[in-house]
Amino acid sequence: MIVIDEYIAARVVGGNWPAEMPDDELGLPASRHWRLLQALHGGRGGQLTQILSPLSPAGRDGIRHPHPEVLQVLDPRPLLDEAAILAARFGGTGLLTAETLAAGLAHGELWFGIPANVGRLLERAASELGVAVHVATT
Amino acid sequence: MGVSVGEELLEERRRRRRAGDPRLSDADRELLRRLTTGDLVDEFQAALDAVSAADPLIGGGETGNDE
Repeated sequence: MIVIDEYIAARVVGGNWPAEMPDDELGLPASRHWRLLQALHGGRGGQLTQILSPLSPAGRDGIRHPHPEVLQVLDPRPLLDEAAILAARFGGTGLLTAETLAAGLAHGELWFGIPANVGRLLERAASELGVAVHVATT
Repeated sequence: MGVSVGEELLEERRRRRRAGDPRLSDADRELLRRLTTGDLVDEFQAALDAVSAADPLIGGGETGNDE
């Protein structure tokens, strides 16, 4: 399984698979799905909520409840203990980074849609942990 | 020797995965394309960062974009 970020998730839901990404099952950490949902529902998404307003009900549902054959939202429960260990080890990391790192450790590699969404702390910790971080370029 | 049933099923599953969610319209797909690889990328990142910044449990004092 490949662990992905919000960008790759939105891309593959729309059928825009990055050319260089291997073909495999995809898993989106629950905290990253939470960020997508906050943006979609207007909790803290600000302008993005307006931008997403033209989405059809089916389009919104594709984000809210991803089609299981396209991607899976990862169950956070088996990742929480490792995430807490990693948060303590690296310090200053919230659930987003800690859970993503734990998922990367469990599944081997992380794929992001743009460099800005990786974050320096995650990049440094992943390097130390031996978790491969890829950024799609196509 | 022909392709096995298992290989056929795996290939079909791969095609469905790569095709994306079949419920989406072309307009939905275009909006998601602009958001992830087009002119709306910065707005998307700003929105994700805003969620992290507003929720210490998620962001822990950093955003995804902590450059």
